[in-house]
Amino acid sequence: MTALRRWIGSEWLATRVQIALGLLFIAAALPKLADPPSFAHMIYNYRLLPGGFVNLPALVLPWLELLCGVALVLGIWNRTAAALIGFLLLVFVAAISVNLARGNAIDCGCFDVRDAGKSVAERLHDMRMTVLRDAGMLVLVAQILFATKYHGPPSTEHGV
Amino acid sequence: MNLRRHLLETATLLLVAVAVALVSNSIASRERKLKLPGDYPNATTVPPTQAVGVSSAPAQAASPESSPATAQQSPPGSPGTSSKVNETAVTAPAKPRGAAAQPVDLPPLRKTPVSSSPAAPPPSGTATAPAGDLLSLFPPHPDRPFVEISGDAAARLHAAGVPFLDARRTSAYEDGHVAGARPVSVWESDVDEKVMALLGEQDGKKPLVLYCSGGDCEDSHLLAQKLWGAGFNNNLVYKDGYPDWVRRGGAVRTGAKP
Repeated sequence: MTALRRWIGSEWLATRVQIALGLLFIAAALPKLADPPSFAHMIYNYRLLPGGFVNLPALVLPWLELLCGVALVLGIWNRTAAALIGFLLLVFVAAISVNLARGNAIDCGCFDVRDAGKSVAERLHDMRMTVLRDAGMLVLVAQILFATKYHGPPSTEHGV
Repeated sequence: MNLRRHLLETATLLLVAVAVALVSNSIASRERKLKLPGDYPNATTVPPTQAVGVSSAPAQAASPESSPATAQQSPPGSPGTSSKVNETAVTAPAKPRGAAAQPVDLPPLRKTPVSSSPAAPPPSGTATAPAGDLLSLFPPHPDRPFVEISGDAAARLHAAGVPFLDARRTSAYEDGHVAGARPVSVWESDVDEKVMALLGEQDGKKPLVLYCSGGDCEDSHLLAQKLWGAGFNNNLVYKDGYPDWVRRGGAVRTGAKP
C-alpha cells in the first residue's frame, strides 16, 4: 500500500471528514426542520414528484439528514450514515441535473428554504455549483466508506 | 453479516426519522404544519362548500362565451405580459368535497371608500366608466381561474377598495405586505379554512386581487385555482406581485394585521 493510499484510508483523516460532513448535514437540516412548508415548496418546485407525494419527504428528509449528520459527528454507525448520505447526495445531484437539463431554474433548498429572489441566470449558475459541491461531498463519503472498510468495523468513538 | 447489520442500521435510521417527523408535525404550529394526506400545496384541491352558503354558481359550470376579452381591461402602458390571460392555466379543478371546514377568524376585508383617488389612470377604453363600477371594468371570468393584471390595474383596484390576498408565506407577509391585504398562504395548512371564511363574506363575482412575490412565483396562480374551484370567478392575479408594488411606492404594512 502506498503512503497516499494509507493516508487516504487513515482513521485520522476519516474522523475529520466524518465530523465535517456531519456538521454540513446538520446545518442543512436545521432550516428545513424550522420551516417544513417552505421546504415542501422547494421540493414541489423540482417538478419531480406529484403534489400528493411532496409532504412526506419534506417532513422526513430533514430528520434523516440530521440523524445521519449527528451519527457521523458522534462516530456512531459511521458507515451506514455515510452510505445514506451518499445515497441522498446522488438523489440531489440527479434531481438538480434533471432540472438543469429542463432549464427549470430553481432554488435548490439545500441550506436555505427561503425564496432567494434570484434571477433565472443566477439560479442556473447556483444549480451548477450545487452539483459540483454535492460531487465534492460524494468524494468525502467515498473516503469514509474506504477508510471504514480498510479499518474494519467502525469504532464508536473517534480515534484521534 | 455486515450487510445485515448495515441494513438494520439503515432501517432504524429511516424509521426513527419517519417517527420523529410525524411526531414533530403533529405538534407543529399552524404555520409549520403539513397535511400528510392530500395534495400539496393543497391549492388545486377545492375546499368543502356545504357548510357555507355560496352565492355564486360553480365557476367551471359557466360557458366560455360569458367571459369578455380581458386584454381590453388593462391600462395603457402596462407590461405586455402582465395583462394577458394565461390560457395554460385553464384547467378544471377538483370537485368540492362534502365535509365541512372549521371556521377561522380572519381580519375583515378592507373597505376603502370607492371614491379614493386612484393611483393610476383609468384603463384604456374605460376612462368614462365610474370608478366604482368595478364589475364593468373587471367582469367575472367563469371560464378561467384567473386573469393576470398589471401593476397599474392593481393600484387602481387597491384604491377602489378591492380586497387583496397575499398568497406568500405568513412570515413573508409579516415582513411586509400590501396595505389591507389578507394573508392566505397557499403553502400553509389552514388555507382551506381561510378560503371558506372568505366564501362566507365575499360575493364570488366581485374581483379579488391575488399576489405573491412576482417573477416566477406561482403561489397567487395556485391560490386563484383554488378560489376558482370554490366559486370565485373574478380572480385577478397581480403577476409582478409585491416587489413591483414596493417599487411603485404602493402603500405597505408590516406585521400580522392587514
